[in-house]
Amino acid sequence: MRTLRGMTSAISVTGLVKTFGATRALDGLDLEVTTGEVHGFLGPNGSGKSTTIRVLLGLLRADTGRVRLLGGDPWADAVALHRRLAYVPGDVTLWPGITGGEAIDLLGRLQGGLDPARRIELLERFDLDPRKKARTYSKGNRQKVALVAALASDAELFVLDEPTSGLDPLMEAVFRDEVRGLRAEGRTVLLSSHILAEAEALCDRVSIIRHGRTVQSGSLAELRHLTRTSITAETARPVTGLDALPGVHDLAGGDGRVRFDVDAEALDAAVRHLSGFGIRALTSAPPTLEELFLRHYGEELAEEQLPEAVRS
Amino acid sequence: MRAPALAGTGTLVRFALRRDRVRLAVWVAVGAGLTAQQSLGSQAFYDTPEALAAYRASVGSNAATIALAGPPVGLDTVAGAVAFEISFTLVLVAALMAMSTTIRHTRADEEAGRTELVRAARVGRHAPLLAGVGLAALGCAAIAVAIGAAGVATGLPAGGSFLLGASVGTAGLVFAAVSAVAAQVSGSARAAYGIVLAVFGVAFAVRAVGDIEGDGVSWLSPIGWAQATHPYSDDRWWPLLLGLAGTGVLLAGARALLDRRDLGAGVMSPRPGAASASRLLGSPWGLAGRLHRGALLGWAGGLVALGAVYGSIAGSVQTLLGDNPAAETFLPALSTAGLVDAYLGVTLGMVVLTTGAYAVSAALRARTEESAGRAEPVLATATSRPAWLGSHAAVALLGSTAVLVAAGTVMGLSAAAATGDPALTGRVLAATLAHLPDVWVFAAVATVLVGVLPRAASATAWGWVAYVVVVTLFAESLDWPSWVDDLSPLAWTPAGPGEPWAAGPSIVLAAVALGLLATGLAGFRRRDLATG
Repeated sequence: MRTLRGMTSAISVTGLVKTFGATRALDGLDLEVTTGEVHGFLGPNGSGKSTTIRVLLGLLRADTGRVRLLGGDPWADAVALHRRLAYVPGDVTLWPGITGGEAIDLLGRLQGGLDPARRIELLERFDLDPRKKARTYSKGNRQKVALVAALASDAELFVLDEPTSGLDPLMEAVFRDEVRGLRAEGRTVLLSSHILAEAEALCDRVSIIRHGRTVQSGSLAELRHLTRTSITAETARPVTGLDALPGVHDLAGGDGRVRFDVDAEALDAAVRHLSGFGIRALTSAPPTLEELFLRHYGEELAEEQLPEAVRS
Repeated sequence: MRAPALAGTGTLVRFALRRDRVRLAVWVAVGAGLTAQQSLGSQAFYDTPEALAAYRASVGSNAATIALAGPPVGLDTVAGAVAFEISFTLVLVAALMAMSTTIRHTRADEEAGRTELVRAARVGRHAPLLAGVGLAALGCAAIAVAIGAAGVATGLPAGGSFLLGASVGTAGLVFAAVSAVAAQVSGSARAAYGIVLAVFGVAFAVRAVGDIEGDGVSWLSPIGWAQATHPYSDDRWWPLLLGLAGTGVLLAGARALLDRRDLGAGVMSPRPGAASASRLLGSPWGLAGRLHRGALLGWAGGLVALGAVYGSIAGSVQTLLGDNPAAETFLPALSTAGLVDAYLGVTLGMVVLTTGAYAVSAALRARTEESAGRAEPVLATATSRPAWLGSHAAVALLGSTAVLVAAGTVMGLSAAAATGDPALTGRVLAATLAHLPDVWVFAAVATVLVGVLPRAASATAWGWVAYVVVVTLFAESLDWPSWVDDLSPLAWTPAGPGEPWAAGPSIVLAAVALGLLATGLAGFRRRDLATG
């Protein structure tokens, strides 16, 4: 399947709707993942990330909408497609009486075989004891079992649902390193997360969803256009007139120090204005995904919560 | 000032009672119900001195019955016969209640990490253990009183009834203490249950051998202590002291072990398992085989033992029931020649029902896997829906077939040995084989429910099993309309070896099973995975 840019698409979802009884879990969701990219799938808890992934895996059936995965229909061609992908669930449950090593082999063989050398290497990197029964594993260790089974496979597409929940920072670093390795090999990764630093560190492009709908999608650079930069400056003379500039927000300061957020398109004008007062020090912080998130959801949340606050 | 190691015990007991009030009430009700049912049944059955004498003559010389029930004492009164027949079952109920209660609140909580949370508060080192044992002791006391009350309410002598209750309660207490030790020794609740059940098995075997030989070996078994009180005949209270002393010693041991181990650890360190999977564990079929292995062996062992016991009793059936008119309500259509056949037909029905229950539990395992979230990672691999559900259905079908054939074979051999009629082996086996389509229907009903009605599958399947049990036991004697009967597969199959086999019903039942299985697999292919 070809997109306009001539790149093949690993996942293509348009207008996906999935309801559970009266609950509308997915409400016209769109998702486009290009082959070979690491795509961040971001959204708050309960926004529909795991439901989308289950539809992509053919575990749930879409009500309406068009869903293509590796060129096939994830519901009808599930078995054939699953040979080409590896999955790490968000909440890994294993069989209590089966050891971690056995579970890795089982899942690997069911998927179509795993590389024994990679298996050994990954067990070492993730510092996992494969001889323990799953009932004695912590959440993090169960997560590692699923990660090792997935990463030791020869899949084209990796579907990872919040794969680092429960991992300590050291293991998170190992995980990031492995994902970069996958990208270097040209494999495609769909990485769902609500940890934004993870997406920032790993993803080529991200899609942000909320209430079962895609609210934004694009490269990090593209999304940054939509966000504000934080500026802190010390000037020789007190700054005046900044608040009159369009695109400047949350202005604070005094005593030759000023702090404000500015929209991307107003950045140039704001810095020019500042230089008129003799800049002594200037720090500018690029917007983080946290801010992007907060702006997207924070404002809407504030609007939604207002009537309730009034009522109570 | 109370001992700091016990701080918080009272609060924990109250909290445990809050968590377990329904469970304990059910256990106590089961104990009282079994007692009342046995009491009423025996009083109706042995209503004449002649009937009682025939019973005494038959039971007093039957090693199998003594091995199963206990020492044949006090059989000159109906009350004594009640105690003989029900005391072991009641001890089993009390022991299971004590075991599950104790381990649930000690090792299982510790394994789940809840004890860590509790112990971090102002709670002493010994408090969780004492609270668990204390709750079990409350349960034992309640079951003792309930058994006594059930005996009195159904017209048995008060002294003997409460002694029977106290004997059962004390035996439960001993197994609460055994569980307390097991919970220290093992690092997992599952293994602790295994230890207690093994101890119970040894106690049962020691007692069985001792009671058959009559050589006093039974005094080495806590079950023997409970039965040494001889309720309704000698009414001895002093053997209860043995149980109390044993409880004390075991609890002191548990306490000593608790002081020597870390939270979360057992005295026994867990053995490391396999670092990589065997060749077998690489397909849905291999996984299903591995997951079902333990349960299949357990059910097979239990059903083979049941078959052996039922078969061995065949020899004494003639003497036991020959001149008892009341037996007709339990064994319909008696003729002197067909007596053993009729008995074997009814008991084989029990074996079939129990095997059917196994088939249902095995098929429902698929649903347990699904709701626990363990189906999801498997179905995200190149495993098809029909293969996954089919692997569990296959174990239910093949496993129940194997279990039923094994139990029927052993029952036939045992009946042949007990009656001296070698032809019974083949005839019982043939009657067993005729029942195979019945158990396939059990497996198929559970599978179609998992495939089509996942969230209601377990309740509906077990509801249907209960219905079939009731219909099988009572429909004929209670004269219900025939359509009530038709929903039970057992009603269609002749209750051999007395009745001739007919191909028609077997073919229909097998076809029904096949149709239900196909519907279940097709339904599972079409529906969403229902986790949680």
